Amino acid sequence: MSALVEAHGLGKSYPRVFRRSDRFRALCSLLAGRASGEVTPVLQGIDLCVPRGQSLGLIGDNGAGKSTLLKLLTGVLTPTHGSVRVNGRIGALLELGAGFHPEYSGRDNIAMAATLQGFSADDLAARLSDIVAFADIGRYIDEPVKHYSSGMVVRLGFAIVAATRPDLLITDEVLAVGDESFQKKCIRWMEDYLEQGGTLILVSHSMYHIQKLCRQALWLREGRMQASGDVFEVTQAYLAYHERKSAADETRARDLDAVRGLEFHVRAMRVNGEEAETLPAVEQGAALTVEATIASRDGRVPVVNIGFARADGTPVYGVSSDMDGVQPAPLPDGDFRIVLHIAELPLLPASYTIRVHPLDSEGLRLFDTLERTLTVKGRSSESGLVRLAHVWEHAAPLSRSRGE
Amino acid sequence: MRTLSFAPAGRIAPVLALAFQLARRDLRNRYLGSFSGGAWALLQPLVQLAVYVFVFGYIFRQRLPGADAPGYVPFLVVVMWPWTAFAEAVSRATTAIQDNASLIGKVALPRAALVLAPVMASFAIHGIGYIGLLLVMLLAGAGIAPAGLALMLPALALLFLFALGLALLLAALQVFVRDIAPALPQLLMLWMFLSPVFYGRYVMPEWVRPWFDLNPMTGFAEYLRFALLNMPAPGLRAMVCSIGAVVLVLALGLFAFRRLQRHFEDFL
Repeated sequence: MSALVEAHGLGKSYPRVFRRSDRFRALCSLLAGRASGEVTPVLQGIDLCVPRGQSLGLIGDNGAGKSTLLKLLTGVLTPTHGSVRVNGRIGALLELGAGFHPEYSGRDNIAMAATLQGFSADDLAARLSDIVAFADIGRYIDEPVKHYSSGMVVRLGFAIVAATRPDLLITDEVLAVGDESFQKKCIRWMEDYLEQGGTLILVSHSMYHIQKLCRQALWLREGRMQASGDVFEVTQAYLAYHERKSAADETRARDLDAVRGLEFHVRAMRVNGEEAETLPAVEQGAALTVEATIASRDGRVPVVNIGFARADGTPVYGVSSDMDGVQPAPLPDGDFRIVLHIAELPLLPASYTIRVHPLDSEGLRLFDTLERTLTVKGRSSESGLVRLAHVWEHAAPLSRSRGE
Repeated sequence: MRTLSFAPAGRIAPVLALAFQLARRDLRNRYLGSFSGGAWALLQPLVQLAVYVFVFGYIFRQRLPGADAPGYVPFLVVVMWPWTAFAEAVSRATTAIQDNASLIGKVALPRAALVLAPVMASFAIHGIGYIGLLLVMLLAGAGIAPAGLALMLPALALLFLFALGLALLLAALQVFVRDIAPALPQLLMLWMFLSPVFYGRYVMPEWVRPWFDLNPMTGFAEYLRFALLNMPAPGLRAMVCSIGAVVLVLALGLFAFRRLQRHFEDFL
C-alpha cells in the first residue's frame, strides 16, 4: 500500500491583524521572506498517513480544526508549518456551494468545476449526462444556482465529485443537508467507491456514519491530535469524553480529610489490579475484578456496594455484599477487603464509571464514594448498555444482499 | 506531488486553462443581459469612433502639423485602444484576488489564474474592437498602413505582459494594503495624460521632450504610430525604457505574487 496522503508536523496559524499598520508590517516582512509576526494557532503538529484504499474519519468538537485540516489537505489553505503530500487527484466537498457562482446555471458551474479539477472539455462532455442524472434536480440544472435550495446545491456538488472519480474523496459535514434518500444514495456511492479501492476522508458528527464508512479515525481536540487509530476505539473514546463532559458538572471532588473522620472510608480501590484513576481499556467480554479496601474507624464490618454507571451518569448495575450474603474479610492491619469478580463483562463498548461505597454494618447509611473510569472497547454494533444473554429461535441463516 | 497554487515553469497549462474559462465567463457575463450580445464588442468602438470624429474632427478641428500627417482621429485611435485595454486590465485585475475571496478560502485553484483572467478578458475585448476599428479606418482611407497590422503585434504582446506584471504585483499588494484600488483610477488617468495618447511629444517645449523617454508608455505609443501611421519611429532610448520596464515589472510582479500568494487567505 502506498501512501496517498502524507502530512508531517502540519500546522496552521492565522496572523493577528487588528490595526491598519499590522497589515502593512506583515506585508513588508512577508515580502522580505520572514514570518508575519504574531499569530493565533488553529492547528498544530498533525502527522497523518493515509494509504491508498483507506478510509479515515475526522471527529472532534466544533472549532477543533477539522475543516482547517481538510482545507490544508486539499490545498485550499497553505500550511504555516509542516508539509502535505497528496499523490493523486482530490475531489472535495468542503462547504455548501463552495466554488459555485450563484449567477450561473448548474451546467455552467459544472463546466467551471470540471476545469478546476483539471478536466478537458471532452472529458466533461462525456460525463455531463452522468452528472445531471446523479444530481437529479430536473429543470433546475439550467437555472442559476442562486435559485437552488441548499439540498440541490449539495446534490450538484456531490454529483460532480462522483462523476470525476477522484483518487481521494474529502467531504465535510455537507451531506447532512441532503434529504434522506439522497443521503442514502451518497452513502451507497461512497461504499461502492471504497470497495473499488477509493480513499476517503470524512468529517462527520454522526458516529454512525463514521463507523459505517471509515476504518480509521482521528480525533482532533483544540487543534491537536487527541487520538487516532481504529475507528471503534477512537469514536468510543470520543463519545466517552462527551459523556464525561456532560456529567462533569455533577461530580464533586472527594475531600480526603472529611472522609477520614467518617465511620468508614475507602482506603484503596483496584480494578484489574490497577490503582490508577484512568484504567487501561478492557475488552468487551473480558474478566474484571474490582477490589475494595475499606478502613473502619470503630472496627465494625462494613457492607460494600459496587456500582457501574455509564460515563454520563446513567446507572447500569449496582450490587452490595450483604445482598449476596457475604461481607468483607478483615486484613491484618484492621482494614476490610472484598473483591468482586465478573468473569465475562457484558458491558457494551463505551466509557463507564465504577463506584465503590462503604455502608454501615446494617447496609443503611452510605459513607464514602470512590470512582474509577473504565473504558470498554470492542467492535460491537449492538446498542444500549449491556449485552443481554440471548438466542434467536425460528431463525434462518442470513443471506447477505448488498445495496440496501 | 500536488502543486499548490502557483504554477512553476512546468505547470502553466492548468493556470491557462482556468484563466481561459474565467475570462470567457467574464466576457459572456458582460453581455449576458444585453439584446445584441457580443455585437456590442464591435458596436461600442464604432460608436466611440463616430464620437471622436465628430468632436475632434468637426468641433475642435484638431489637426496634426505637417503636410502628409495623418488625421487626428486615427492618430488618437491607434494609441487610445491599447491604452484602454492596458488600463482596464490593470484596474480590474488589481481587485481580482480580493473579489474572489470566497473562492480562495474554499476551492483549491491556481491563484495566478484569477489575475490572468481579467487581463486576458480586457485585452480580448478591446483587441477585437481595435482590429475592427483599424480595418474600418483602413477601408475608409484614413492612412492606415496594412503592414502595420502585423508590425503592431509584438508591441501588443509586450503591452499584455506589462499589464500582467503590474496586475500580479498590485493584486498581491491589494490583499494586504487596500489603498491601492481606490487610488488606481486617478493614477491611471494621470499616467494617461502624461503619456503621448491625446497628443504627440512635439507639442511639448523642447527641453521636456527627452524626458518622455522615461515613461514606458511613450515607446509603445510612438511605435504603434510608427507601425500603423508611418509616423517617426521612437528613439532607441524610449524603446529600451519600454522593454526594460516590461521585464522589470513582470519580474517584480511574479516575485511578489509568489511570495505573498500563500498568505492571501490569512489577510482576506
